[in-house]
Amino acid sequence: MGKEGKDRTADHWEWPPIEADTLPKLLKFRAEQFADRVFIRYKHLGVWQRITWREVYENVRAFGLGLMKLGLKRGETVAIAGENRKELFWAEWAALSAGGKVVCLYPDMTPAEVKYLLENSDGVYFVAEDQEQVDKVLEVKSQLPQLRRVIYWDSRGMWHYRDPLLMEFKEVQEEGRRFGREQPQLFDESIAQGLGSDISGLSYTSGTTGLPKGVVMTHNTSLDGAFRIQMHCPLKPFTQYLSYISPAWGTEQLFGITLGVFVPLTLNFPEEPETVLPNIRELGVEALSFGPRQWEGLASIVQAYMLDAGWFRRFFYKVGMKIGYQIAAQRTEGKRIHPLWNLLYPLADLLVMKAIRDNLGFKKTYLAASGGTAMSPEVFRFFHAIGVKLRNAYGISEVGMLTQHKGDKFDLETLGSWYRSHPAFGPPLEWKLGEKGELLVRGGSGFQGYYKNPKASEEKLVEGWFQTGDAVHMREDGEMIFLDRVSDLRSLSSGHFFPPQFIEIRLRFSPYIKDVIVIGDETKPFVSALINIDAEIVGRWAEKNGLTYSTFPDLSQMPQVGELIRKEVEKVNRFLEEKSRVKKLVNLPKELDPDEAELTRTRKLRRDFIENRYAALIQAIYGDREEFATEVPVKYRDGRTGVVKTQTPIIHI
Amino acid sequence: MAQGILRAEGLKLSFGKVQALNGITVGLDREEILAVIGPNGAGKTCLLNCLSGFYTPEEGQVFFQGKKVSHLSPHRRARVGMGRTFQGIQLFLHMSVLDNILVGRHIHMRTNFLQSCLYWPWAAREEVEHMKVAEEIIDFLEMEPIRDAILGDLGYGLRKRVDLGRALALDPKILLMDEPMAGMNVEEKEDMARFILDTHEYRKIPILMVEHDMEVVMDIASRVVVLEWGHLIAEGEPGVIQKDPRVISAYLGEE
Repeated sequence: MGKEGKDRTADHWEWPPIEADTLPKLLKFRAEQFADRVFIRYKHLGVWQRITWREVYENVRAFGLGLMKLGLKRGETVAIAGENRKELFWAEWAALSAGGKVVCLYPDMTPAEVKYLLENSDGVYFVAEDQEQVDKVLEVKSQLPQLRRVIYWDSRGMWHYRDPLLMEFKEVQEEGRRFGREQPQLFDESIAQGLGSDISGLSYTSGTTGLPKGVVMTHNTSLDGAFRIQMHCPLKPFTQYLSYISPAWGTEQLFGITLGVFVPLTLNFPEEPETVLPNIRELGVEALSFGPRQWEGLASIVQAYMLDAGWFRRFFYKVGMKIGYQIAAQRTEGKRIHPLWNLLYPLADLLVMKAIRDNLGFKKTYLAASGGTAMSPEVFRFFHAIGVKLRNAYGISEVGMLTQHKGDKFDLETLGSWYRSHPAFGPPLEWKLGEKGELLVRGGSGFQGYYKNPKASEEKLVEGWFQTGDAVHMREDGEMIFLDRVSDLRSLSSGHFFPPQFIEIRLRFSPYIKDVIVIGDETKPFVSALINIDAEIVGRWAEKNGLTYSTFPDLSQMPQVGELIRKEVEKVNRFLEEKSRVKKLVNLPKELDPDEAELTRTRKLRRDFIENRYAALIQAIYGDREEFATEVPVKYRDGRTGVVKTQTPIIHI
Repeated sequence: MAQGILRAEGLKLSFGKVQALNGITVGLDREEILAVIGPNGAGKTCLLNCLSGFYTPEEGQVFFQGKKVSHLSPHRRARVGMGRTFQGIQLFLHMSVLDNILVGRHIHMRTNFLQSCLYWPWAAREEVEHMKVAEEIIDFLEMEPIRDAILGDLGYGLRKRVDLGRALALDPKILLMDEPMAGMNVEEKEDMARFILDTHEYRKIPILMVEHDMEVVMDIASRVVVLEWGHLIAEGEPGVIQKDPRVISAYLGEE
């Protein structure tokens, strides 16, 4: 498609009407429209409970008024930390209705991270799920003079807490209800005062490079995003949506928080993050959006279960999947297949795939999206083989969703075709390719800048074009292919460029490998890999093969495990050209851990940090050593530190 | 101490020539977590078994809420409100976690076998009620992910948690725990310690526990009793006990 592109249908296209210019206005409208229909479902004491639009709105109103009574002023920040729960959603809608802006925090952030985000976002109220979150903020409260209240909804374990900052969610709501009786018009007035250009939240970049930056979101950007999706691959009203990915991530802000009201969806909250699989099954979820890691995890689970199955079931699985993969190849790669496969498919579907879909809970799923980083083609193929029509989507916090698989096109190599942006929010979306194939974007509601960081904002915006930092390839048919981060394409000492992420993603599909970091740069003659084995699955494999081990360092350094992983790497090497192949590898003696800053909270690798930490080991790989004595400092959860010492063999391929 | 909820006076128990308990007198207050510690063979589990009725002491009495219970069998003591957990777990391995917890409700079941089989309306109502109690315990002990798991498939740490759940299902007025942390890894111990504290704080249940792990005892117990060779050698707050020379020598031996 060349070097640039633009949506040219903008002038002769019938655009859907705009119902409201802010999310709270839309929420109020929907609550009147669908008062008695179910909006939220959640599991309590083992039973699914339903909440109607009327009840949700009443709760949002009560909490919003409560915040106003406490002293929240328009434009101030409310920070929220917790798992996906109804209260979290109420708190966000309430804060927006009161004219505030919202920043959501990942529930597993450290106190230092919480402090940084609260400081950077000027948070004045902190809404927390439970003791875990409250403890973090109480630990750093002395350094946060602007913090006025910490509000929590699960009081468990805090029965003896007496900190004057603390207040229970219900108390705030009670205050709000009382306040509402005194001033019945106040909440409606507050909603009416909102403008589309008001800042609605800050979406913090995951911080793969340096400190997280808060991307400014406005009601316009949120609604622009909602329209982009609905005009591309529409969700049906009252679709059963599973809210699972963290609201701290822009994707859930768009799907759960915004589209939930916009479409509207029926929001379902899993009982606990660990029960999401049985919960999907109980609910018959129709739409869900996971990150590639979660999809990869699901695929691994099926494969691990099949490893444990008896020969009879394994046989049917094998045959059924063979047929499924043929159909998947036809659908995702446009491969021509023998018509016989098409005839066999309904039978295979009935015997095998339907059962897998049912067990995973995807029986009714019509929209399954994967967004975030690039997705392994093997995983993608796997889901199409079992009949789940997975779609890739691509977007970045700064400029919103950009591309997604549309209609019946599911080319696994691509991230789909371009969304269009509603003209009410700005000019049509345009793209062009910059240096090194970097994707540049403008149009739509546009990049609103980083919060309190004009310098970083300017760096990203060159002559009105937003620099995505992603190297892409645009195909003739308008579908986009993701290559790698521009900064991540790397060359070896020979000058040969290789795609580290590509290798990593393909290696991670092995059920035995949990994380992997590929090493190689201008100073190195070949590519090597540090591998973090999947302790659970490798452990099961070891047990089956009569190998005994005690701890992770022990298991990971067994020669048999080394051989197992070597074979997995060889499989992937076959996909690569000679110069890009992995020549040596090492099984890390400890797991990579976000608590030690080796991974970000979204489980992305912090490359520089890891390469630094294992510098000596890497040096040994490029020497002629066969073994290396590693001493890895580890930080335990209770704050203690220790050292893991092992002899790590260097495995040649 | 006389108004304590549980009180044992002058317990004596011997096996042949071994004097397991030699006139032990202890009391459990209404608002405390009392830990019984001591080296191997000190008589800790014997004491617990005398309190819960599995052993009958040769001398001495046990009082619960001011009433003598020495003559009651273990299941009678459960009915009056004395719950206990076990060192080696006494659960049904082939049943689900939820069912194991429901087993703990048996003393509160009112419908008879025939009524339950016919599933009369009150039997149905009763089942819903027991189910609710069981689900509240699942929520309390954060066992949602393993609700339907078969107990035999679970690790030791989780089984212990289920055992605590089963004991709580009795709606006990006190809880006797036999080595709740034995055989657990650090993370499981931390979880269990939190659940014990939560049980005590939120459910207001006084707890008497026998425990080996000194670190845990020092962290969560409000009072400690030390046994050695069937004798009570020290009693007091954890901080004091830790420095008591008799306790140190009992644990570490003398030079």
